[in-house]
Amino acid sequence: MSAIPLSHILILASILFIIGFVGVIVRKNTLYMLMSLEVMLNAVGVAFIGAGSAWQQADGQVMFILILTLAAAEVAVGLALLIQMQRKFKSLDIDLLSKLRG
Amino acid sequence: MTIAMLANLLPILLVAFGIVLTLLLIAWQRSQKLILAFTLLVFISALVASISLPVHLNESVQVTPLLKVDGYGNFAFMLVLIASIAVSVLSSTWLNSAAEVHDEYFVLIQLVALGAGILVLSSHFAALFLGFELLSIALVGLAGYGRNCQYSVETSFKYLILSASASSFMLLGIAFIYSQVGSLSFAPAHVNAGYGLFYQAGMLLFLGGVAFKLSLAPFHFWTPDVYQGAPTPVTLLLATVSKVAMFIVLLKYWFSQIEVMSAHHSGEGIQSIISLLAITSMLAGNALALKQQNIKRLLAYSSIAHMGYLLIVLLIISPQSIALAWQSTLFYLSAYVLATISIFSALILTSTKQNSTSMQVIDWHGLFWHRPSLAVLIIIAVLSLAGIPLTMGFIGKFYVLNVAVQAQQWWLIASLVVGSGIGLFYYLTIIFTLFNSEQQGSYEQGLNLPVLKGIHQVSVIGLILLGVFWGVFPDTLSQLFAIQ
Repeated sequence: MSAIPLSHILILASILFIIGFVGVIVRKNTLYMLMSLEVMLNAVGVAFIGAGSAWQQADGQVMFILILTLAAAEVAVGLALLIQMQRKFKSLDIDLLSKLRG
Repeated sequence: MTIAMLANLLPILLVAFGIVLTLLLIAWQRSQKLILAFTLLVFISALVASISLPVHLNESVQVTPLLKVDGYGNFAFMLVLIASIAVSVLSSTWLNSAAEVHDEYFVLIQLVALGAGILVLSSHFAALFLGFELLSIALVGLAGYGRNCQYSVETSFKYLILSASASSFMLLGIAFIYSQVGSLSFAPAHVNAGYGLFYQAGMLLFLGGVAFKLSLAPFHFWTPDVYQGAPTPVTLLLATVSKVAMFIVLLKYWFSQIEVMSAHHSGEGIQSIISLLAITSMLAGNALALKQQNIKRLLAYSSIAHMGYLLIVLLIISPQSIALAWQSTLFYLSAYVLATISIFSALILTSTKQNSTSMQVIDWHGLFWHRPSLAVLIIIAVLSLAGIPLTMGFIGKFYVLNVAVQAQQWWLIASLVVGSGIGLFYYLTIIFTLFNSEQQGSYEQGLNLPVLKGIHQVSVIGLILLGVFWGVFPDTLSQLFAIQ
């Protein structure tokens, strides 16, 4: 069984990342935007673990654990904001959040 | 690691312990005055600790693999602490008008300062990541802090989504760089010219993430909205602490890569991308500020232009001029931070609860005849931002021009001159407005202004004197970080 080359893992990570990014841009529902952000962060995690295993170091996995922590913290703040938004506007549509202009 | 080495981290450790103690203090007694006093105590003791730190400019102590204490980072941390002190003092007026007890607010400010402290001392991508996120997530909380304000949800949601995508771009860049270099530390173990395509892609993604935080031109769309929607003290925090910390960490990474860049064929390409970013930020920032009436949006665009000017420092090629580049950066950032603190203090002290997000330049008209001290403060800050001689901003711009001439970047010099020229239009409009007493309404305007308290009067005069003193005698400041 031959090892998977590093470039394949990085390309996979890039594809996942792009899927997540397109989700953030295209989706109108803020809940789905937060979910797409998670996809982006986890794609980065795949890249880190792949790179770490290619160099035979634990650093990649340590970074992945840090990224998981970050994702949890971000979602906590994000969901709190979603609850605020639901109370204020009775909807999760991102287009409602465009009052600031000038 | 010895105790003596650990003592170099004392300023950061003081802030970190301060956060824990503040939380305990909140559990013991919920009093806003007490918490404000304790926060100020934490910041001031950290400031004293970093002033008395026995680290010279050109030496550095690698305390852990993650953190390296050096004189430049230490000076930047002092700037961060001074800005945090200013924000805490100014917040008290804004918070007093609400009925609730705001204890978390000061904890969040301390978290932002801690994140900035980790950023300016980091020498490893893991430390960069931790500092960056500590800073960003606390700022998201602060941006939406006024829950009952009109734009709070919009502001903090915009900032959350954009800052999270920027940080994932930056992280993907770091992952790509790591996959090629094999080490997460800034200083590469060995210089290898054979890094592949992923190294360049990683560099670009990393720069994109940082450029978002610094709000450089193609990545600046969030800046005016967030500046306007956030509570004014938080805007000051965004404009000073977050920008200073991000710029210092970018500089630290960049200067550790100079050897790799000169060996690698992609170095020139990345340098031209940086000059493009700088030119677009200078021109777009100043041009977009021209038609702004809202003061906070105007300052947002002006900060975009300022980060563009400062980006010139990155184009230093020879390792000999790194000391000059650091000196220019620190002077420029000090001038920028002092001017920003001054103008935001004036903004907070002249705005009432109702119009804090919609303060227009016109609201300041005739201010000189009602509150001369505030008007003089605004004038000095605006002149410094515009870079008129005998202000700190002029010396800062002079330093940057000097760097640009050394690097022989004529296009950048041209756009710096053009940008500053455009900038004069809107900066001078502010000053004319201050003296204007012709229009109607100025009489009621004077009555609506909040009364200045004694402590505010003293700090306003202090800021004026500092601005004038360092403008006329810039040596006294630049000696602090000049190489002897």
